[in-house]
Amino acid sequence: MARRERPRGPSRRAYNRAVAEEPAAAVATEGTGFEDIARLEHAVGVGPWKLAARRLRRNKVALAFAVLFILLVATAVAAPIWAHDVAHTDVGTNHLTEVLKEGNKSVYVVALNGIPAGPQWFNAGGKFFLGADANGRDIMVRLLYGARTSLEIGVSAALITTIFAVIIALLAGYLGGIVDTVISRIMDVVWAFPVVILGVALGTALSIGGLKIGPITIQSGSLLIPILIIGFVYVPYIARPLRGQVFSLREKEFIEAARAQGMGPIRIMFSEILPNLASTIVVFFPLSIANAILLEAYLSFLGAGVQPPTPSWGEMISEGINLITTAPHLTIVPGVMLVLTVLSLNIFGDGVRDALDPRAKVRIEL
Amino acid sequence: MRKRARLLGATAMGIAAILALVACGSSSNTTSSSGTTAGTAKQGGTIKIGTVGPDSYDPQEYQTVQADSALHLVYEGLLAFKDATGQASTELVPALADSIPTPTNGGKTYVFHIRPGLHYSDGEPVVASDVVNMVKRNLFLGGPFSSFFDDIAGTAAYAAAKKPNAPLTGMIADDKTGTLTINLTTPDTRVLYAFAIGESGVGPKRKAVFKNMTGHPFPGDGPYTLKVVSPSPTNGEFILTKNPKFDIPTIAKGNVQQIDGMVSTNVNQMTENVINGTLDYMTEDPVGDLLPQVEAKYKDRFLIGPGYPNTYYFFMNSTIPPFNKLAARQAVNYAIDSRALERIFGGRLHPTCNLLPPGMVGYQPITPCPWGDPAGPGNIAKATALVKSAGLTGAPVTVWTNNKDPRPAIADYLRSTLDQIGFKASTKTLNQLVYFSTIGARSTKAQIGFDDWFQDFPHPGDFMGNLLTTEAAKATPSFNAGFVSDPYVDAQVNKLDAQPAASVASGWAALDKYVNDPQHAYVVPYGNEEDTAFYSPRMNVAQCSGYPDLAHRVDWLLLCLK
Repeated sequence: MARRERPRGPSRRAYNRAVAEEPAAAVATEGTGFEDIARLEHAVGVGPWKLAARRLRRNKVALAFAVLFILLVATAVAAPIWAHDVAHTDVGTNHLTEVLKEGNKSVYVVALNGIPAGPQWFNAGGKFFLGADANGRDIMVRLLYGARTSLEIGVSAALITTIFAVIIALLAGYLGGIVDTVISRIMDVVWAFPVVILGVALGTALSIGGLKIGPITIQSGSLLIPILIIGFVYVPYIARPLRGQVFSLREKEFIEAARAQGMGPIRIMFSEILPNLASTIVVFFPLSIANAILLEAYLSFLGAGVQPPTPSWGEMISEGINLITTAPHLTIVPGVMLVLTVLSLNIFGDGVRDALDPRAKVRIEL
Repeated sequence: MRKRARLLGATAMGIAAILALVACGSSSNTTSSSGTTAGTAKQGGTIKIGTVGPDSYDPQEYQTVQADSALHLVYEGLLAFKDATGQASTELVPALADSIPTPTNGGKTYVFHIRPGLHYSDGEPVVASDVVNMVKRNLFLGGPFSSFFDDIAGTAAYAAAKKPNAPLTGMIADDKTGTLTINLTTPDTRVLYAFAIGESGVGPKRKAVFKNMTGHPFPGDGPYTLKVVSPSPTNGEFILTKNPKFDIPTIAKGNVQQIDGMVSTNVNQMTENVINGTLDYMTEDPVGDLLPQVEAKYKDRFLIGPGYPNTYYFFMNSTIPPFNKLAARQAVNYAIDSRALERIFGGRLHPTCNLLPPGMVGYQPITPCPWGDPAGPGNIAKATALVKSAGLTGAPVTVWTNNKDPRPAIADYLRSTLDQIGFKASTKTLNQLVYFSTIGARSTKAQIGFDDWFQDFPHPGDFMGNLLTTEAAKATPSFNAGFVSDPYVDAQVNKLDAQPAASVASGWAALDKYVNDPQHAYVVPYGNEEDTAFYSPRMNVAQCSGYPDLAHRVDWLLLCLK
């Protein structure tokens, strides 16, 4: 916990000066292992972020999954290129009655009994690389566009969650009293509902009528609806641990010093306390993205998330369920993509946590 | 080859179904005057039926086949359809009335006599004024079937009064003598059928009050009583138990003692449950790859055939853009490829160019189909040109559908096709229990979407009158989701309704052609679905499948255990 309590901002500069002036004191009590290396690095004036980056570089597994995640992002970015130049279709076009040439034989994209063609790899010139779905749509194209949807929702929802959680944690944790009581009870109410049930309830309601708040109207099929829902339901899960940290930080000497200098509560919250939450926020963020992507998949699977025809992995799995024995690729392919994405974010997130504070046990408790 | 193989398979299934029909037919033919099914049908026991659920438990409010299958066992009207299978199931029989009256006054007056000594399940006697109350409920609540009674004198004044107890001058009930006189403003041969459909089921007027009673169903006069254990649309349950007070000799009393209706939206799970015997019958068709599996492995307890006359079509709202333009409606008709939709139905769809289904009086295949061979590809180029010439390229269109398989896939096909011909289309999917009432409300402004119609009674007016007339469009919700209002259609329906359907079959065929011709293009009919019936190993399918019941799909009164 000591690292997170290290002051930032003006107080942090004073702290660094003190360490620079007395390096011997900093290395006086040498031990063994990772912490000692960290302490030593600190002693020679290495910044905390640089230090974290060094530690992260040493974590090869986390880096491998980070690379995997970057690859997934790259494939999502390349979706239109694949669709246009390789598959020669777009994400929503039905090819139900088209015929594919497989060597000497011809196969329907969707047979008369409704069973779609399996993976063609490059037998059809890149068309239907991973096969077709029951509507005769190219699964590979939908998979890539689905990655875009998942990442868009995951990152946006995680941003919303983080911003609201930080503001709420600062207000409740620093101001305390009645403000904390009211905010905490509201958070408890949201917390009381299981995430998926709350998400499904909100998603079902909003997917029919859309969302109208004053002059702002969001159409029912908009991606903003699942983004807002997912962003909202996770706020207590991030805000609660952050609030605890703010509670602890506000009692520290550097905050008392800031108060003594005449700083107001808002300035103290955002310029003194917030920088000390940064490492926790950085740890939470990739984990939040992973959770948001998973919840989006749950909701879309249940029909309460992304609305057709926008592709989403959860929706693709849901659509494939009816044909799971004769066309298992319909569910397996998006399922594997979902697992890889969430796994890569979680392992990378854990690596970041270990790098920023090897002793931390920061977790999003769901 | 695949198609031929399937046709052969279907033919074999058809023969099997016919054999089953013969067996059931003989069983139903032996329905005794006391209403009991004679022969070897086992009596008693409890069966479980899986269903996506009645959309309402109020007989004047429901719209779906699933609701009708259950509630016609609970509520009887003046007349009913014979409890039989095959064509016999469309024959009218007297129910609360002691006979089917012959109209007088030029076809405008019907006099019914209520059977003496009938009681509801709560012991209250059935009286003639309960029938008047039923019609008033239909009109007051504004249910979609209210238009069935529009030709009764005084309905307009009653509706205008907006008071439950306002007089309905066209219906004169004498509870002492049990006489009910119904006067029509114009001859209408549909009216007898209107008093036979499930939505004409009556209840005691003290309890059948003028509000939606789906949460608290009132007592009925049918062979079973209803108890709603849970109204949940996703995990609900209702129980039908034999009504000891039921005594209408022309109606079957039912074979099983109790029917548990298990409501779920998961058709795959339902199918698995029938396979393993947890459910004894399901009101839905197996979907996805379970269909070929069931067809192949459980031939002895799976029936498939043309069955219940139906038409699947897309409605187009002719009152709002872009489908208020003829060119837009023509374009959709040209573009649709029924072969694609056939695949979405797993091969159970037969392409059509008609709104009237095969087997219906007045059905004559429209040949040549003005939009091209119904079993051939769509004409995308012509459709695109029409959209462009009408200045509709890029016009936003929302395709409406519901969440019951394969309807989302049907809507996605339509969306894709609309995109191809130049529109900018998106889809909107609703829960199937609220779908039809939503698109049937004018205020929804649904532009285009999924629709289907399964016959209520064997009369072409059931299709044309409900789906395309101005009268039907006035109801809320309306079955005329396109809000078509064409004086010629109205006049023809009124004219043809006045005469027995068979005698004016060519007139109905001409009207069918009129609504589908390029000058009007009011709807986009694309196919007739084969329906299915799937039973558990416990059920006696050979003798009491209850399939096909052309009025209720499967007559649950005929079901029995082995």
